[in-house]
Amino acid sequence: MRTKLIVAAAGLGLLLASVPAIAHHSFAAEFDAAKPIKLTGAVTKVEWMNPHTYFYIDVKDEKTGQTANWGLEMGSPNGLMRQGWTRNSMKIGDMVTVEGSAAKDGSNIGNARSVSLASGQRLFAGSSQQTNP
Amino acid sequence: MRNRLVGRYALTTAAMIIAAYWSAHAQQTPGQPSETQARGPAQGRGRGPAEPPLPTPRFADGTVNFGRVPGEKGIWSVRYITNMADQMIGADGQRLAPPPPARGGGRAAGAPLGGGEGGGGGRGRGGAKSEPWVPFQPWAAAVYDYNSVNQSKYDPEGYCLPPGGPRLMATPYPMEVIQLPEQKRVVMIFEGATHIWREIFMDGREHPKGDALNPTYLGHSVGHYEGDALVVDTVGFNEATWLDYFGHPHTDQMHVVERYTRPSKQTLHYEVLVDDPGAYTKPLKMAWDTPWTASGELTEYICQENNKYLQRLTDDFGKPLFK
Repeated sequence: MRTKLIVAAAGLGLLLASVPAIAHHSFAAEFDAAKPIKLTGAVTKVEWMNPHTYFYIDVKDEKTGQTANWGLEMGSPNGLMRQGWTRNSMKIGDMVTVEGSAAKDGSNIGNARSVSLASGQRLFAGSSQQTNP
Repeated sequence: MRNRLVGRYALTTAAMIIAAYWSAHAQQTPGQPSETQARGPAQGRGRGPAEPPLPTPRFADGTVNFGRVPGEKGIWSVRYITNMADQMIGADGQRLAPPPPARGGGRAAGAPLGGGEGGGGGRGRGGAKSEPWVPFQPWAAAVYDYNSVNQSKYDPEGYCLPPGGPRLMATPYPMEVIQLPEQKRVVMIFEGATHIWREIFMDGREHPKGDALNPTYLGHSVGHYEGDALVVDTVGFNEATWLDYFGHPHTDQMHVVERYTRPSKQTLHYEVLVDDPGAYTKPLKMAWDTPWTASGELTEYICQENNKYLQRLTDDFGKPLFK
């Protein structure tokens, strides 16, 4: 029950806190909200830049053993900082788990909604999807 | 499994909050701050009930202060208003958009004309025919339909270009109003949508005429006070912006009259008349409230830095636009 309340509060926080995070470009033109993704991998690169922070992770396919590099979009650095991020929240080599939406064109690009960091902390990613619920 | 249940609980809660927000919003008379609108986005987590309205700040001469009180922080947390049609009001001040359909499971994913986006009052993106109260010129309806079908793929804000006209107050990054009475001008600073500022001349001058009026993104603004209202008259827009994210177009004939009031310390009420005979057969009147975030300050946001959206953007034939 306690967990439920915390998650519900986080959901409320997301709704109230997400508004100024990002509204830069059309979410629907690039990503598909009907294609949810949940990826875990090691961080290979972080671009802490405007208008969107991007980070890249190596995701291993357990079946084939192949590794694919995914690029994931978040909000702007100032928007992320308002949600509790710093430029050092994610470092190269960290294992992170990302939840979000896949690109429409089938490429290894996604829009991150939340990221569970190596520290165990889970942060919302200020994605454009949050402003277009 | 447990996680999934918990997630579903959070989603349901979110849906209920959205529904509650809408019903509060839809019944609200413009000009009166509602509890839900008085919130500050940056303070969302773990906040209790909204605080009661505080008195409108004023300068020594009685003029309404649209900015900070000395010694305090504070920003206007501009809301994300994606569709101006939803904010349109009639002569009686009532909203023209019908209330959204009853929510039973939400919009279907992949519904025609979009479906993945909110802001349409629950109506999704149905193009001009879904907004019969918007007096489109035929070409403007066609352009709006195109922007609906492609889900605002070519939105100028996606190119890091500025918002046009009332969209300044609908692009969800904080802004500040700085009144400089001794200099007879008002400056508005916008963190988002390209870090822009806007100057409003309060010295009684008129708009430039003829070719002296150079079309620009933000146009030429003159203002004056009418009682407690700051009234701003703007002409001289270029045609490179949209009225909103949904893609209502405008022309360089657009004439915008904005009326800013601050009914309480926490609320900026905005009423705007958009008269653009080039795109609409009648003026559009819209109104909404913007909440104050007392703990907020502007931060840097330079949109142009690493715009990968633009680098990946393709035209309708799949060819990259900027490579």
